[in-house]
Amino acid sequence: MTHAVPGRPRLGAIARKIGGHLVRGLAMIWVVATISFVIIREIPGNPVLGQYESLIQKGMSPEQAERATAVLYGFLPTGNLWQQYVGYMGSLLHLDLGRSLSTPGVDVTTLIGHAARWTVLPVLAGTLLSFLLGVTMGVYAAIKRSGKLGDLLALSGSLLHGVPVYVIGLLLTAIFATLWPIMPSGGPVDVEFVPGFNAGYIGSLVHHAVLPVVTYTLASYGGWILAMKSNVVAVLGDDFILAAELRGLRRGFVFRYLARNAILPLFTILALSIGMLFGGSIFIEEIFNYPGLGLLLVNSISSRDYALMGGTFLVITVGIVVANIAADLLYTAIDPRVRSGGVA
Amino acid sequence: MTAHTAAPHLAAPGVRIRDLTVVYKTPAGELPAVRGVDLTLAPGTITGVVGESGSGKSTLALSLLNAVQPPGRIAAGSVEIDGLGDVVTLRGEDLRRARGRQVGYVFQAAQNSLNPLKTIGKQLLDLGRSHDVEDLRALVRDAKELLARMGMDGARVLDSYQHELSGGMRQRVGIMLALVLNAKVVVLDEPTTALDMITQATILRIIREVHEERALTTLVITHDVGAVAEVADSLAVMYGGRVVEHGPVTEVLGDARHPYTQGLIRAIPRLTGDLSLARALPGRPPTLGTLPAQGCVFRERCDRRMEVCETDEPMSVNRDGRTVACHATDRHLTLVKRKEFV
Amino acid sequence: MTVIVNPEGAISPEAAPAGTTRATLRRNFWRGVWRVLRRKPSRMAGVVIVVLFAVMGVAGPLLYPAQLPRDDDALYAPPSLAHPFGTDFEGTDVLALVVTGARYVLLTGLATAVITVALGTVIGLVAGFHRGRWDMLLMRLTDMNLAIPGLPLLLVLSTVWKFESPLEMGLVLGVLGWGGIARAVRSQTLSLRERGFIEAARGLGLPTRHIIGRELLPSMAPYIAMNMLIAVTGAVYAQVGLFFLGVLPFESNNWGVMLNLAVFNGGALTTPAALPYLLAPLIAILLLTLGIVLIVDAMDEIFNPRLREE
Repeated sequence: MTHAVPGRPRLGAIARKIGGHLVRGLAMIWVVATISFVIIREIPGNPVLGQYESLIQKGMSPEQAERATAVLYGFLPTGNLWQQYVGYMGSLLHLDLGRSLSTPGVDVTTLIGHAARWTVLPVLAGTLLSFLLGVTMGVYAAIKRSGKLGDLLALSGSLLHGVPVYVIGLLLTAIFATLWPIMPSGGPVDVEFVPGFNAGYIGSLVHHAVLPVVTYTLASYGGWILAMKSNVVAVLGDDFILAAELRGLRRGFVFRYLARNAILPLFTILALSIGMLFGGSIFIEEIFNYPGLGLLLVNSISSRDYALMGGTFLVITVGIVVANIAADLLYTAIDPRVRSGGVA
Repeated sequence: MTAHTAAPHLAAPGVRIRDLTVVYKTPAGELPAVRGVDLTLAPGTITGVVGESGSGKSTLALSLLNAVQPPGRIAAGSVEIDGLGDVVTLRGEDLRRARGRQVGYVFQAAQNSLNPLKTIGKQLLDLGRSHDVEDLRALVRDAKELLARMGMDGARVLDSYQHELSGGMRQRVGIMLALVLNAKVVVLDEPTTALDMITQATILRIIREVHEERALTTLVITHDVGAVAEVADSLAVMYGGRVVEHGPVTEVLGDARHPYTQGLIRAIPRLTGDLSLARALPGRPPTLGTLPAQGCVFRERCDRRMEVCETDEPMSVNRDGRTVACHATDRHLTLVKRKEFV
Repeated sequence: MTVIVNPEGAISPEAAPAGTTRATLRRNFWRGVWRVLRRKPSRMAGVVIVVLFAVMGVAGPLLYPAQLPRDDDALYAPPSLAHPFGTDFEGTDVLALVVTGARYVLLTGLATAVITVALGTVIGLVAGFHRGRWDMLLMRLTDMNLAIPGLPLLLVLSTVWKFESPLEMGLVLGVLGWGGIARAVRSQTLSLRERGFIEAARGLGLPTRHIIGRELLPSMAPYIAMNMLIAVTGAVYAQVGLFFLGVLPFESNNWGVMLNLAVFNGGALTTPAALPYLLAPLIAILLLTLGIVLIVDAMDEIFNPRLREE
């Protein structure tokens, strides 16, 4: 090949990539929805049918009872498997997740909408903080890797990485809320404050958010520092760093060459990390009594509100899928090798 | 050393490597990769250094920029470059400024010597800024001229990323980056390895032409005797960290004096004639750990080995402008102590 | 004697100069292991810890009567000589609960690790080995496995199936968790393939089973072993967490249940009374994780000689 530059990012290629992600994401959501559906039907005691029958007992006509149950769960209590499945999928496409039993008369969608912010905001904050901290420490750990400090940093990363998120959460609470009560131990905010843009409310919000966010941060930090360290060490061995030094490039430039090349692959883990925190939010919200999606899911199970359960499960999955797609697109935008259609 | 443009008509600097020893730290202690090397690069010449893997030639090349990487270090000796002084004594900012500006280094084609995340043009600007180039636009123009000289579309190449260029193109970009700041001493490490034959010929031609146009002093490191025969004025042969023979290229190749050089040439199959005439050198080159502590480094594989070879290191003898380090070559002449040579 | 070409250049007990017996090789191998352990004493500590827990798992329940004694006069008692970690909500010694609970935790961890690794390795090997359509299919499957949120799915699943026995728990966790290992094994297989090992063996006419069993697996064995240990930590995390959330049936010496009761019944997060009850299983989990991490670190250095050069 003697000619220079082949075509730059073709719109068609990018569109195809996004399309691929969307298809895969939709496939995932579909799988999860199907799993939910199957499980709701399989629950011992058949709550759907039970609901239908209890409504009839209360005096509703069969058609009314049928419709009422369908509104609750998204599919008819009668009819064969296929009909029910289609009905369920149909309501999903209408973004109808049914109605809650535990909070009677309220749409599942509404409940989820209220709960979402209590999950998304701390998770994002935790991801961001752990990323920044982990990446910075990772560079340090790589540079000092032959010394004790580097060893210690790497070990701390390993340990934190291996410790489950709820252990961190419980320990932090035990130390900072119980033994040494400088942090509140529960709830997203102090109830005495009036919600709104006033200092008291926001201050309390932040105060109550400290421990959960710190827990998320500590839980993810280990992964980042280990990954960054190994990337930096790998790039340090790359020829272009030596080449830059031999060409007399300023230290600042060499460092930036190193840092950007080392960080780039980390973006692929970003999505995974957010996904993990979404899963871990179940624990954090239980421990800190945050009314987020995780707590909603757990409560829906214990209160047998199965429509809510299915809906929450679905939304959590959608959140993870969206995070995956976003991270992948971000990576595509940053890495020139991927943009030109080459292999990174 | 303030003006960034040294006009091409300025005299090419000479390079004198004296008694250079580079050691590497191993679990068995510090072992020499380059031992007591004396080498002079005459101003304006292309010197080729030939040797097998592990002969120390790449380490020698890096020494010209005082860039031997840990766990290696320059243990003794000097590398004097006219106009720069002893590179071995340079440190910090002085050393950084000398690299790229006074001494250029071209990597092997197989290595990725470019930042994969930045366009060539941006890396060129980084280079210019690092060396306090005031007129960056002129720098870019020079770069485009150099690239055009080597047969490429300068503007497009500067706009590309490394992965969008072929191996030969990357090699040429490497050459451009080594020359664009008007360094007068250029070191090329295996410039033709990993390239196809046609590209090899092109690159060699470019090296020769650019060298003449800019009045450079060039050092070419390679294991390809054929490549060196085409492009170099003088040839040095390295083995086990020593220079065993050095002289004008036609003479060294036509009338090799050191048994190793003779063995190398004997191993090259001719294009015509009997293939079986080519004979490979028996044995294997020494590694860092298997270097003999005393005596001649080559003796295990030498067909003219004598008793004195076991105990005494042969000194470099200079005669008629040629240097050889071998006990067997000048048995009748008394050994002359090391002399300066041209 | 079989000479196994080890692509990593790592310690392979079988590759050796002629004349050495297998016993000598094995001795040299263990000597190398001892050296690595001695260099960083923290790793020795890791081995000690894991052995301790293993002993606890095997012998623990034997040290105590089948029904742990309750003491109605000492509910949530503070730490003392008799009860180093205090007592629980019915007066049972917390330390006894932790020790007897170790067996379940370890068994489940082991079951999960075995299933995860078995599934992941098979899928990864098949995908990397056959490539083409198999690879694409299996990788799509792996992607899905990795992306589906595990914990929420476990919770949802727990409504229809109470998977509390170690084997059931191991099965569920294993089926949910093989994705990571599958991907890693596949990439190892692909890289070995690229280095020509598979082609060479094929060229020699060796049967597929031999290639996989005698060439690929042994070179990946250390890597798989390390992943197995890591899978154990993941399994411990998952099962304790599930019990902590209270979605599975109750067993008073289960570490997760202890956490649950300490927090939600004992108010350990608001009053210090039940703190030891909370801390004991926490410390146990931390120690176990620490021990495994240290061992994996040591294994990494043993089997990755490149690291030793640093």
